[in-house]
Amino acid sequence: MRDYFKTGITLMVITIIAALVLSVVYTIVEEPIANAELGAKLKAIREVLTDSDSGELLIDEESIPKTATELAKFEWFPEGFSASEGIIYNAESNQGKVESPAYKFVKEDGTEIFIAIGIAVGYGGDVKSMAAFVKEPDGIKLNGIKVLEYSQETPGLGANIANADVQKRFYPITKEGLDEGIKVDKDAGVTPVGDQIDVRKREDGIATVSDVMTGATITPRAVAFSLNAISEFLEKAGVR
Amino acid sequence: MAPRLVFIFLSAILINNFVLSRFLGICPFLGVSKKTDTAVGMSIAVTFVMILASIITWILNIALDLLGIPFLRTIVFILIIATLVQFVEIFLKKTSPGLYEALGIFLPLITTNCAILGLALLNVQQNYTLVETIVNSAGAGLGFALALILFSTIRERMELSEIPEPFKGTAIALITAGLLSMAFMGFQGLVKL
Amino acid sequence: MMAESKFKILANGILKQNPTFIQVLGMCPTLATTTSAENGLGMGLATTAVLALSNITISLVRKFIPDKIRIPSYIVIIASFVTVIDMLMHGFIYDLWKTLGLFIPLIVVNCIILGRAEAFASKNNVFSSFLDGLGMGLGFTASLVLLGSVREFLGNGSIFSYHLSDVKMFAMILPPGAFMALGMLAAFFNYLGIRRSKAKKAEK
Repeated sequence: MRDYFKTGITLMVITIIAALVLSVVYTIVEEPIANAELGAKLKAIREVLTDSDSGELLIDEESIPKTATELAKFEWFPEGFSASEGIIYNAESNQGKVESPAYKFVKEDGTEIFIAIGIAVGYGGDVKSMAAFVKEPDGIKLNGIKVLEYSQETPGLGANIANADVQKRFYPITKEGLDEGIKVDKDAGVTPVGDQIDVRKREDGIATVSDVMTGATITPRAVAFSLNAISEFLEKAGVR
Repeated sequence: MAPRLVFIFLSAILINNFVLSRFLGICPFLGVSKKTDTAVGMSIAVTFVMILASIITWILNIALDLLGIPFLRTIVFILIIATLVQFVEIFLKKTSPGLYEALGIFLPLITTNCAILGLALLNVQQNYTLVETIVNSAGAGLGFALALILFSTIRERMELSEIPEPFKGTAIALITAGLLSMAFMGFQGLVKL
Repeated sequence: MMAESKFKILANGILKQNPTFIQVLGMCPTLATTTSAENGLGMGLATTAVLALSNITISLVRKFIPDKIRIPSYIVIIASFVTVIDMLMHGFIYDLWKTLGLFIPLIVVNCIILGRAEAFASKNNVFSSFLDGLGMGLGFTASLVLLGSVREFLGNGSIFSYHLSDVKMFAMILPPGAFMALGMLAAFFNYLGIRRSKAKKAEK
């Protein structure tokens, strides 16, 4: 019996020490971790805020948020929407969600820019993409996207979505294209080549990925779904 | 809701097969696949522990989040799995000696099978509900079983063939696994959302 | 003499007892994270850190741990270090942390680590255990970088993202490629071994 106690207590002591050590380390690295997460998000925001045609920033260098408090100022909750479990909007097709919060930036000339993170199920898990929509006089346009999370996608196949060249196939898309709904070329039943790739993308919302992502279907489709979810969300919020 | 469960189930068995495309549980896959009998035994044991472990870890994860100590997740999960394996071993020994005879030797090996811990962590990462967790675990277990049993039958056949000296043992096993994995890639287009 | 035996412990893991090619341990991270040389290196170094640290700790406390609860105690110690490494990587090398994903917590169940704790650290002094952990870790890292380079070169035409060729065999980055590349490398090392032993025989 004494033996049992001894072994039990030794094991307990080891576990408690381990937990203590971990708590200490956690308190120390908590801040760097939060910074790293925030840093990745801010970097993405900066990227999608870059004009996809001219390569210039849409808003002033100064106005781009650099800290969590600055970012919080841009949070945007349209009327009639409430966030539950970090999700602000579920697409009607049930194939995409929009993460809360969404963000709203205003250009010097009053043009509104909306940034949101869309989530859709990819090959092995959630694929998250951030997208910036610019409200221009003739309608809202998709300016840029950045795929944030794709870690469960197949390396070398779906995970190629990380490639900037692949992501470029999803933007910019004009109002007409957004009205059609964004889809990958395979689902659209066409295979644009050459100049057509850009034209069909802008005007018909067709993202040609079959040439840059051979074999992968589910991951780019998930990106398209998540972008459509954001676009639908903006429509419901009355800005599209 | 139901189609989502079917999708999770099929995806875990075929498309995201734990062994052949996620690379989890390779050690037992290479280690106990020489004979079909042992492969079947191992598969049953793994599937069983997988389902049990993911239910318990799912519940515990809620507790960890409530307590605000998610960083202890890895350590808690692995301890739970190790304890669970011990417990299953003792329980089987007492209640059904027949099954214990059959599975006994595999149970201790399961603790260090990364498929179990991997599954528990994946379920949490994916924010699955309890039902989804169970379905996903059953799928993962069956997927593991499918890969392991298929592979063991191939290896039994391979015993009879002449293999060049340098390829004997692990080398040819890995290449065969590669071919099997390639075959499983054919399932990719199976599920359409 | 002393220094030589220490060096032997270190070299043992890198060559003679190479965890990947000779002992065939820790296959899951080996196959999963070697889509590129860089990922292989990252995973290898993370494992090395855990291996060296846990070997040191286990060697330090080995006398206080009753034999019966040896394995659970080791698991707790290893899991703690893995969590620490996981948190540090999350905070300071975010991109690599994201790519390696699930496989960082899974270092816990890497058989190499528990294997070395049981076979070496529980019987030897602190410094030797450290060297053993370091050697095994570096051996593991070297194998991962080698496999990662081969796969990245064949699959993407580059090594460490440095562009080398335009021939790209996609399949090498995909799961089947991992199995095959490792199988081929294992066969190659077997071949070298066989040739060496034949040469030795001929000498005699």
